[in-house]
Amino acid sequence: MRFEGKTAIVTGGSNGIGRACVARLVAEGARVAMVDFCDLEVSQAAADEMKDAPGEIVPFQADVRDADRATELVNQLFDQWERIDVLINSAGIVRDGLMAAMTQQQWLDVIGVNLGGTYNYCHAVTQPMMMNRSGSIVNLSSTGAEFPSRGQVNYAASKGGVNGLTRSLAKELASRNVRVNAVAPGMIETGMSAAVRGMVGEKELKKIIPLRRIGQPEDVAQAATFLASDDASYVTGQILRVDGGLSLGGY
Amino acid sequence: MPTKDEVFEKIQTALVDALGVDDEDVTPDATLVGDLGAESIDFLDIVFRLEKSFEIKIPRGELFPEDVLTNADYIQDGRVTDVGVEELRKRMPFANLDDFAKNPVVQDFGSLLTVADMCRFVEGKVEVTD
Repeated sequence: MRFEGKTAIVTGGSNGIGRACVARLVAEGARVAMVDFCDLEVSQAAADEMKDAPGEIVPFQADVRDADRATELVNQLFDQWERIDVLINSAGIVRDGLMAAMTQQQWLDVIGVNLGGTYNYCHAVTQPMMMNRSGSIVNLSSTGAEFPSRGQVNYAASKGGVNGLTRSLAKELASRNVRVNAVAPGMIETGMSAAVRGMVGEKELKKIIPLRRIGQPEDVAQAATFLASDDASYVTGQILRVDGGLSLGGY
Repeated sequence: MPTKDEVFEKIQTALVDALGVDDEDVTPDATLVGDLGAESIDFLDIVFRLEKSFEIKIPRGELFPEDVLTNADYIQDGRVTDVGVEELRKRMPFANLDDFAKNPVVQDFGSLLTVADMCRFVEGKVEVTD
């Protein structure tokens, strides 16, 4: 029960990796704000599935690109909870396309959600975490930032941006005992990776992943909640790859 | 409506909490950077605490207008220009800039703000009784 008495905000919390993070946090006693772009009923249904866990989930509908909404939501939670211990920025999208065919909207959407959203929520929690001299932020990066695929200039740029933001903010907030880290998932079985998995074929993918399996959202959630917890009390500014060894390369 | 003594006490608490200094270190003449060891992020921390304590809003950059010191229009060869000093006086009516104006080296700027300046800054934002 690493999160008993602690509070957390998880963006993109209704689906995929975000949802697995919420499940892990609430299983270990946290009060969690599950923030997602999808309809509130969808988030509520996801929360209901975890109702037997010892923690508590409060779902919110929000577009992470909306900075005012991020501030309003975080301030509301801070007034209510008097502390924000953990932020996990998991909201993310893909809008793949080759550069020559990519529309500006595809670029703006991905940068806006993946990087802009991460900025907005980091910005909003900075003051409460600084005031409390305590906090842990975990951003969702991707191995795609350093080992990019074709057709993902927007995604790779957004996740590269997340890495830079993570390291820089870690330095800024370290003197306030606020840690900032990222997890960089490889091939994980979520809705977002379904197209790539379908295109390449799972059998082929497993051949190039040293651990010989596609990762599960829970694999990433375990790493993310490790970084979020006091178990990682001396870890800041790190990008932890959770990819079954995929990025090791070689044979 | 707080008295001047109450303003000082609240500022003292904010500085003790933000900077980890002792009560007795926070005297009116103490400089924030030189004597109390404040760094740039500390000014934000102090502003957050003053906002909460006095229930006021303090626009970022108002207490410590760093943007002036990074503006090429106001800086030349590591010194604040006459126009820059005028801008600082306008932006920081609560601070005594006379000594700094005699030799306005940018690096020395951080050392001039005192606890008494901060008290005047807050007194300009809240109604104070004697």
